[in-house]
Amino acid sequence: MTEVPATASPADYAAPATIGEALRLLSADPTNMVIAGGTDLIPATRAGTERPGVLVDLRRLPLNDITVEQDRVRLGARATFTDILSSPDLAREYPALHTAAAQVGGPPIRNRATIGGNLVHASPAADGAPPLLVYDATVVLLGPAGRREVPLTAFFEGPGRTVRQPSEIVTEIWMPRPTGPTVSAFAKLGPRLAMAVSIVCVAVRLSGAGLDSVDECRVALGAVAPTPIRAEDAEKTIVARGLTADSVARASIEAAEASAPIDDLRGTAAYRRRMVRVVVERMLDDLARKLTGAATDG
Amino acid sequence: MTGVIGNRAARVGGVEIVTGNARYVGDLTFPDMLTGALLYPDLSPARILRIDATEARRLPGVVAVLTHADVPGLNRIAYSDVEDQPLLVSEFAQYQGDAIAAVAALDEASARAALAAIEVDLELLEGVFDPVEAMRPGARRVWPDRSNVHEHLVIERGDVEAGFATADVIIEGEYTTQLIEQAFLEPEGAVATLDADGAVVVYASCQSPHRDRRQIAVALGIPENRVRVITPYVGGAFGGKDEVHVQIHAALLAQATGRPVRLIRSREESIRTHVKRHPIRVRHKLGATNDGRITAIQVEAIGDTGPYVNAGEEVMSVLAATASGPYNIPAARIDAFTVLTHNPICGAMRGFGIPQGTFAGERQLDKLSRKLGIDPLELRLLNGLGTGTVLPTGAIIREGRPMKACLEGAADNSGWRERDDTQREPAPHLRRGWGLAATIFTVGFGRNVPDSAGVNLEMIPDGTAILRTGAADMGQGAHTALAQIAAEELGIELGAVRVVKPDTERTPDAGPASASRTTFVSGNATRRAAAVIRESLLEAAATLTGLPEGELHLGGGYVHATGERVTTVAEAAAAAKNANLPLHADGFYAMEFPEKYREGDYPYQHQVFTFGTQVARVLVDIETGRVTVEELTLAQDAGRVINPDGAMGQLEGGAAMGLGYALIEELKVVGGRTVNNSLESYLIPTSLDLPPMSVGLVEIPEPMAPFGAKGIGEATLTPTAPAIANAVADAVGASIDDLPLSPERVLAALEGGSS
Amino acid sequence: MDEFEFLVNGVAHIVEADPRRTLLSVLREDLGLTGAKEGCGQGDCGSCVVVMDGLAVNSCLVYAGQAEGADIVTVEGLAQGDELHPLQKEFVDRWAFQCGFCTPGMLMTAYAFLSENPRPEAEQVRKAIAGNLCRCTNYRNIVEAVTAAAMKVSRS
Repeated sequence: MTEVPATASPADYAAPATIGEALRLLSADPTNMVIAGGTDLIPATRAGTERPGVLVDLRRLPLNDITVEQDRVRLGARATFTDILSSPDLAREYPALHTAAAQVGGPPIRNRATIGGNLVHASPAADGAPPLLVYDATVVLLGPAGRREVPLTAFFEGPGRTVRQPSEIVTEIWMPRPTGPTVSAFAKLGPRLAMAVSIVCVAVRLSGAGLDSVDECRVALGAVAPTPIRAEDAEKTIVARGLTADSVARASIEAAEASAPIDDLRGTAAYRRRMVRVVVERMLDDLARKLTGAATDG
Repeated sequence: MTGVIGNRAARVGGVEIVTGNARYVGDLTFPDMLTGALLYPDLSPARILRIDATEARRLPGVVAVLTHADVPGLNRIAYSDVEDQPLLVSEFAQYQGDAIAAVAALDEASARAALAAIEVDLELLEGVFDPVEAMRPGARRVWPDRSNVHEHLVIERGDVEAGFATADVIIEGEYTTQLIEQAFLEPEGAVATLDADGAVVVYASCQSPHRDRRQIAVALGIPENRVRVITPYVGGAFGGKDEVHVQIHAALLAQATGRPVRLIRSREESIRTHVKRHPIRVRHKLGATNDGRITAIQVEAIGDTGPYVNAGEEVMSVLAATASGPYNIPAARIDAFTVLTHNPICGAMRGFGIPQGTFAGERQLDKLSRKLGIDPLELRLLNGLGTGTVLPTGAIIREGRPMKACLEGAADNSGWRERDDTQREPAPHLRRGWGLAATIFTVGFGRNVPDSAGVNLEMIPDGTAILRTGAADMGQGAHTALAQIAAEELGIELGAVRVVKPDTERTPDAGPASASRTTFVSGNATRRAAAVIRESLLEAAATLTGLPEGELHLGGGYVHATGERVTTVAEAAAAAKNANLPLHADGFYAMEFPEKYREGDYPYQHQVFTFGTQVARVLVDIETGRVTVEELTLAQDAGRVINPDGAMGQLEGGAAMGLGYALIEELKVVGGRTVNNSLESYLIPTSLDLPPMSVGLVEIPEPMAPFGAKGIGEATLTPTAPAIANAVADAVGASIDDLPLSPERVLAALEGGSS
Repeated sequence: MDEFEFLVNGVAHIVEADPRRTLLSVLREDLGLTGAKEGCGQGDCGSCVVVMDGLAVNSCLVYAGQAEGADIVTVEGLAQGDELHPLQKEFVDRWAFQCGFCTPGMLMTAYAFLSENPRPEAEQVRKAIAGNLCRCTNYRNIVEAVTAAAMKVSRS
């Protein structure tokens, strides 16, 4: 009739000091789970929707650094949204990620919730995902069989499902650094202005020398499909046609067509699809103006 | 004058709150305390085929499992006149919040295991979920032996037909409001213990300790003097803790186990069970002449109260009694239906029927304004009631000036008359609009309803005083206001008054802290108690100083004569004690109805009212449908303000709740069961969702009120939603008649569809 | 049961507890620090916020195991003896609460925020407290209290 108690014994919890030990604990039983911030896992356990065996706490592992390298930036999987917000490098080069981080939960949640957890939890509405998609992020996993890298585009399988095996740990996410003039942004429509699950969230990146020479366009959408998605037709339209009123309008429609939303508490499928178009169009218009500036400055 | 009334004052209990020392019910622990928990049905409505707690009782750590058979007294929540809600159901699980069994265990895990081990067989029944359908002849019944229309109430005055016949224009509209969750931050809870002599002591987060006492006694089958209810700090209530929640269950478990039992609802359980603000469909017909004078209204309101009546009848009664709004309308007919369904139960929540009626009425006035081309403010000033106006209930307005003073105040402070049409389209996708709404609100329970309060006040010869009140302070600041009244009358500083929280063995019955009545009724009782002591103090001071009593004044801890301090209140008190003069007194006040009842009057009419007006300025994004309130301007009649900070807090907080009502809040129900049972899915405004508010207070003292002060905490919520809806209609030129004004409804309205 | 050591309000505590109980539960039930409240149990309301290693966290979303070795400050640790912290003083003076149930969490969020942002603008404060729900007020007086307290904290 009601939730079954979460029974736990001390053996159900471990905070290993090495990644090897963490992997060994995870491999011991498929119900064993990683806990990072715990902001999704703890309430899910309380509600009985998750029934973890041993919890493997990553807090002792050095997986929270944000490292700027020559050609990429590496985010430790345990980096919190507060860590992301506190990084001037990310704010400068990855503004969509910075903006998204500022809109996840409220400060106490951002102080605990991690970027790795946000991806592994695989909510279709995860605000962290669309920005990482537009920055061509790669997820690094470590498991008993070794290390592998998965492009974020191939990481999500469905609501709550990813390609990660239960015995694997996401250790980091890395993003290439922009080379030429690049602009990007994130926007979210939620049912209220803080502490809200997105109705629609959108990230866009444009790289190129000007309105008629966009080398790369990325449009990523959240909360409008079983997983965060890229709107590739829209991207191609912008690259092929540049940023004109017509191409922006067309790309916005294509983005809406790429979405496959459902009706839920926060909004109907029809509203979501319509909002994809509105938000993508506004964002492309806005970024087009910025790109002109960026290309001139550059 | 001490100047305690109307001046800034430290909040009673404030330091305890900020230091974490304030004890709410969940913070209390007792030796050997057990954890209580309740079992709810997975399906509803359902017939209960079997309840078997044998296994559950055998589990380790489980001390007691109670079902309906274990209730020694009346197995009913005896909250209203209609005692139809079982404490522990036996035959039907009518809704998701019915309790099937109560468990006491050594810890939470054992309690949960016990709940899981109780075997319950339910047969799902076809439910009645649409109140309008439920009213049709032949509709499936919620109760086999009762009509779905629990009550049909009619209030009629004047010749309605003639009124519509003389009208040049008729406006007809249908309005719906949504189910609203209380969302007090502290979920309901109680701790029950047994006294040395076996009497039951219940600590409860509640609004009505003395009424709780009666209900507990009746259920336990013991005399009421063997139940003691104590109200510690209460973390918000808004009406939702006016009924009993888990007090009786905790008491039953304590009685059964002989041990203290703590029963605290989880958030999910809290949303599942307690009463909500009624969703009400209002059909409103309004006639007016071309120059804007309203000639008649006809209003039909259908309120979905769920399977148990709770306060449903009273809510619909108050809606009906105020359906003419703060206007002088010569002819009115109001039909109000209290309808039973299998949806969540509804009852008291801040506003008590008036927000729903006001939403309809004020939208109607705006439509009339648009149709006739008369400014919404001017139309309301034209029809606004005044002193002597007779309401449809027969109540005669004794002090009507605040109504138009609020209209003018809100208009002036918002720059209503200077609204600038050049700002209507600040961006291609944005539209700005202005909306105004006015309300009338009632104070007290109304005629023919018991409405009294007692207090006990004690002056101590050291110059301090103790005020014992049975009125609960759920955050509204009642205890500070009452302490200020006592301090003012006794001539001492506020800090010298200690307030004893409600405890049915120590504090007199003050009735429920509801109906915007506490300041009024308990305030008057406090004044009366203080008057007795004050007389002693003055008499003793006269003897002490040799000055005539008539020349003495009390204030700030001193006795003054012709502007000079002649002695202290403490010395006067000591002298009074030595002279055998009374230094403690009970004060009692019952609501008065100076106007005699006349044939045809509504028997539950009110005679004290407050008025208010709010103006909203909004921006509507016509592509996303999103409404942003840029500013809210409030003007509220308070009679007289006892405490400016408290008043401001109530006004702003009420408007904040009103904004949630207007834009984002809705408890969604599918098949009688709520689906957004968390604060992640039921959204109340955050700090980023609220606009700047400008607040103006209109102070025209109410003669019967203590220092002229009237309750304002509910009135302030009422105009917000219609003001915002009127502003949205003004911005986009389309009407939305259903709450909340969700983005999807706004877009639908823009596209000409009905909302 | 495991043994955990935390620093709570400057005092070292060794607690024997199931590592999968929440920090909130350990503070309230084991240490008797009932200032932090449970309003929702899943991080939606902020009533349980305490400061852990300098950061405001929902203590209902932290397992005891995760808090091992942490330096925790609760609302009970704000005042120095009888001397209220400026935040507490301003909350009382400005009536920055009604029922008070959200107040301990609100204060601790504000406390952590001010340690990073000694002279905040009102808008920053509004964002900082956006994870703490209040059902009684419109937050104005809370924002003003935090802003006013900041002036006093940074002066002292």
